[in-house]
Amino acid sequence: MGVVAEIERKLARKRCREEADGVPELRTSTMTHLVWAPPEWVGAAKRVLAGLAERHPSRTIILVPLPGSRTGVEARATIRDFELPGGREVLSEVIELRLCGEAASHPASVVLPLLISDLPAFCRWRGRPAWDSPALAEIVEVCDRLVVDSSEWSGVPAAYADLAHLFPRTAVSDIAWRRTLPWRASLAARWPGIRSVERLTVEGPRADASLLVGWLRSRLRHEVALTRRSADIVSAVRVDGDPVDPPVGKAPSGSDLLSAELDTLTRDPVYEAAARAAVA
Amino acid sequence: MANPLAEGLGLRRKPDPCALVVFGASGDLTKRKLFPALYALAYRGLLPDRFAVVGVARTEQPTRQFLTGMRAAVKQYARDPFRSDVFESLAEGVRYVATEFDDDSGEDRVGEALEDCDRTRGTAGNRLHYLAVPPQAFPTVVREIGERREREGWARVIVEKPFGHDLASARELSAMVQRWFREDEVFRIDHYLGKETVQNLMALRFANGIFEPIWNRQMVDHVQITVAESMGIEGRAGYYDRAGAIRDIFQNHLLQLLALTAMEPPIDFTADAVRNEKVKVLRAMHTPGPKSVVRGQYGRGWVEGEEVPAYREEPGVDPSSMTETYVAAKLYVDNWRWADTPFYVRAGKRLARRETTIAIQFKRAPHPPFEAIAGEGLRPNVLLIHVQPDEGVSLAIGAKVPGAGMQIRTVHMDFLYGGAFRESVPEAYERLILDAMLGDATLFTREDEVEEQWKLVDAVVGAWGRDRPTFPNYPAGSWGPSRSDELVHRDGRSWRRH
Repeated sequence: MGVVAEIERKLARKRCREEADGVPELRTSTMTHLVWAPPEWVGAAKRVLAGLAERHPSRTIILVPLPGSRTGVEARATIRDFELPGGREVLSEVIELRLCGEAASHPASVVLPLLISDLPAFCRWRGRPAWDSPALAEIVEVCDRLVVDSSEWSGVPAAYADLAHLFPRTAVSDIAWRRTLPWRASLAARWPGIRSVERLTVEGPRADASLLVGWLRSRLRHEVALTRRSADIVSAVRVDGDPVDPPVGKAPSGSDLLSAELDTLTRDPVYEAAARAAVA
Repeated sequence: MANPLAEGLGLRRKPDPCALVVFGASGDLTKRKLFPALYALAYRGLLPDRFAVVGVARTEQPTRQFLTGMRAAVKQYARDPFRSDVFESLAEGVRYVATEFDDDSGEDRVGEALEDCDRTRGTAGNRLHYLAVPPQAFPTVVREIGERREREGWARVIVEKPFGHDLASARELSAMVQRWFREDEVFRIDHYLGKETVQNLMALRFANGIFEPIWNRQMVDHVQITVAESMGIEGRAGYYDRAGAIRDIFQNHLLQLLALTAMEPPIDFTADAVRNEKVKVLRAMHTPGPKSVVRGQYGRGWVEGEEVPAYREEPGVDPSSMTETYVAAKLYVDNWRWADTPFYVRAGKRLARRETTIAIQFKRAPHPPFEAIAGEGLRPNVLLIHVQPDEGVSLAIGAKVPGAGMQIRTVHMDFLYGGAFRESVPEAYERLILDAMLGDATLFTREDEVEEQWKLVDAVVGAWGRDRPTFPNYPAGSWGPSRSDELVHRDGRSWRRH
């Protein structure tokens, strides 16, 4: 029996077991959610998935590449159920695939038969992708949206030039970009005074700062210089030395940020332009 | 030049600064629906940055005490967890004025409170008046606010149902309101239109190409619309005994659901485009003859394991009341799409369970080769739209029972709102209050819609004057009077199985 058939069989058996508890089950999916998580990222990925809870009923496929081991695919399939008001349960499926040896370079061969037909496929790619790798090329081909977090990368902002090569091939979102949204709203509220800004000063991660200045450059269509002081999160922004009001409210969790990206289906031309301009 | 930085931020349009004036602020609607809705809007940052609420009611109490009540109401009825900071930011802008609605000095104090809001909260003279008052108080309140309408800023008025008691009174009320307010400033609320599933009916019909070719008399055998309540009149005898099921539910919710089900695709989702199409449906409706309408009144019975009194035994109800608590009708929409397709509708209190559904029953397959062996199991396809509870859509289809032979059974394919979208569904009043602040009347009923609805109801009620049915004629906890079943059985059909 092939690995895909074995997964389907395991899932069917677990669904039957869930249905035997007498609570009416509902199999509802809004997407296939792929997670590319090298071993060092698996823990973080699972924490975010746990925080995501039942917000996006889906088939989740966690892909763990283990290129240094003997070629093969190890699979685990589980069912998670979430109670709904009215005494029903929604079932979500979680499939963990350990792609060993050469299989790590050919994820599509396992992913394609497991995608839920007619629904969008999102891939959250943990860490910095190897831009020329066959694995990235295959995942880009099978997913409708690639979700990265450029704050997980070294080599920013130059790496945005590599990322930009993917824009024509799939929709791309960036958790770092999503994180800057409240600051972008605060900056946008300064229109029209901000029109002639010359320098943006950001205390925050390199990725967030680069994207903010790239955004201003691309939207305002002129050069804006960046001064950055390192910080774990964006804690202060100044426009030509003038402090910008910080956003109010609690910063969203990693799960909240990913959840928001999973609601977005189309390309984001504003982000694409910001990422390209961040390199300049 | 437009702000290029705003693109892609996904910012919702915020309403203009304004003051919401709630007449009837000490009532149940304010406590259960309006204030929890305002809290939910504040919780999501959807209220205007400069906003105030002026509560107006007869109950003598200081603002502080009013807010204590509203705090408790938010804790009990809001869909979000209670956050002091959110409530306090809302409460800062709240003032309460105790007055009789026809008391000039009281209205002066309302005016002063509003001026104070403009001064201290920056509400810029914009006023949204919410009439959460009994229908008999409408004229007085509308006159008071109309006469005091200020030149600065906009003024809108939200009117709760029922809008009038019949066609003549609705017209009279409209004429009176229009002395001070233009039609685009009048928001007649039918809270069903604010429900997500009712709006999803439009998404279902007009965002899915597969339904258009089958949504017509060629493919649809008939439509059933049910608005069933298991509760009684909940202490509203004064209102209900005058209104009955036909004015309380049929005239508004039921006919609106029917109009949305039957209407042609609007050219866009603007207020007038949608409402124009609904009016065409209402105008195309036949007045049902006496044999096509059944009314009923509940007697004693059992609901959810509890014995409940008959309608005539409810506190405040005339022991010989002839008010109907149930109405069912066979209606026809006489147009190209729906000619000869019956719409069976029913609404009632103290029915077996609470349920609002629209069931589109399709014609049977022309030559089902399995019919002989399908037995009782094979039923026509039904597309069922659950408005409440269990919001969602299900499709009944025939499927082969696994095993030897060819046995066909009906199974349901379900889309459950809460299953696919885990966001909690907003309350209807949140959406409607926000839309009124934004000036968007798409989900409110227009004067001509209301008039068409009353024309139909007046004709039915007029015919009722000629007979005197034996009430009560259905036990509480049942699915209504037996004549209601006969209404459908006569056509060789039956109400949906529950």
